[in-house]
Amino acid sequence: MEQVFIGFTSLTWQMGVMYLVGAVLIVLAVTKGFEPMLLLPIGFGAILVNLPLQVVWEHDGAAGFLKVLYDGGIANELFPILIFIAVGAMIDFGPLFKNPFMIFFGAAAQLGIFATMIIATLPPFNFSLREAASIGIIGAADGPTAIYVANKFARDMLGPISVAAYSYMALVPLIQPPVIRLLTTKKERRIHMTYHESNVPRWLKIMFPIVVTMIAGFVAPISVPLVGSLMFGNLIRECGVLERLSQTAQNELAYLVTLLLGITIGSSMRADKFLNVQTLMILGMGLVAFVFDTAGGVLFAKFINLFLPAHKKINPMIGAAGISAFPMSGRVIQKMAAEEEKGNIILMHAIGSNVSGQLGSIIAGGMVLALVPLLAK
Amino acid sequence: MDKLIETFQAASTTLQAMAVSLGGLIGVFATLTIFFIIIWTADRIGSRKKG
Repeated sequence: MEQVFIGFTSLTWQMGVMYLVGAVLIVLAVTKGFEPMLLLPIGFGAILVNLPLQVVWEHDGAAGFLKVLYDGGIANELFPILIFIAVGAMIDFGPLFKNPFMIFFGAAAQLGIFATMIIATLPPFNFSLREAASIGIIGAADGPTAIYVANKFARDMLGPISVAAYSYMALVPLIQPPVIRLLTTKKERRIHMTYHESNVPRWLKIMFPIVVTMIAGFVAPISVPLVGSLMFGNLIRECGVLERLSQTAQNELAYLVTLLLGITIGSSMRADKFLNVQTLMILGMGLVAFVFDTAGGVLFAKFINLFLPAHKKINPMIGAAGISAFPMSGRVIQKMAAEEEKGNIILMHAIGSNVSGQLGSIIAGGMVLALVPLLAK
Repeated sequence: MDKLIETFQAASTTLQAMAVSLGGLIGVFATLTIFFIIIWTADRIGSRKKG
């Protein structure tokens, strides 16, 4: 008789909490529109995997469909790589080619990754170097990079790290403005920047992804899967002879893999692994990473302004767009500029900084992947 | 270089994280500087061709 009601008798309060967590993610996706393509599948996956007996994960010694997806898409890093091909096909590096200096904001705004990594090793957190690196990489503001690095260094923490990465990316419009306002004056936020329209030669657009991949391969060979897949997608976009493949990568591939990635990440949120103090620490430090990223970009812009003549000053808000989270961060910066002064258009500079952030975040991920194993005990 | 790595391997986790951070930031800036030079040079070549 007990077997008939096993679904009810095996319920635990931890499962109940996870249903609530899943429901919150779904509500945020549906009512607030926060990264709905990811938060909704993650939320539903979290509910699915915490149902009694966890049959979607493993039952009677056989793998459930979510475990099959996890082993075939996350454990071997296939899904993040496929997402990168799709993202590469979506990115237009044109605004960066027209304002190449913006590339440095893509480096400065990675500060959060490294600052958070250091903080995570301090008491009372005391994470190991590999775990701290995986937490810090939330600051890449780039889901696939966070998943890729966490999967290499701290697989048990993949669930909270992925949730933190995607949730904070969705919350960029709420996280960045107060940090920017705190670090800049009204006068600085009103700085206008002239935009020079020019035609980027086609050969540069085609050569760029190839050269970037090769250089990344020489500097940090371990970053090649990340950089290479992103740049492959971009090459398909820019070559001009693979329009259908480019459209497929931007649409069908992106949607299909996102769908599978979301529900599979949700399946890593099993109550026994997710409900602990460590998860709260990871979520807290993820926020710290985004704050430091924003501060790094803004302060770097202010530093550069010290050396520029008055008519060439940079609007320091541009620096904050270097955090990746493409294209949301760029739009947030433009919105702030327009709120400060009607008619102040810095969108193209912000997008240039934003696509640089995409490059910077994967290079930073590659650096972490290369350096941590060298030093970790 | 090997000696430096060995020194950090024996250091505390926080010191290791600082070393990774310093190396990582330098690496990111250096790599993106190379990309900047490529774009800047390509832009110069493009301008000259037009001229």
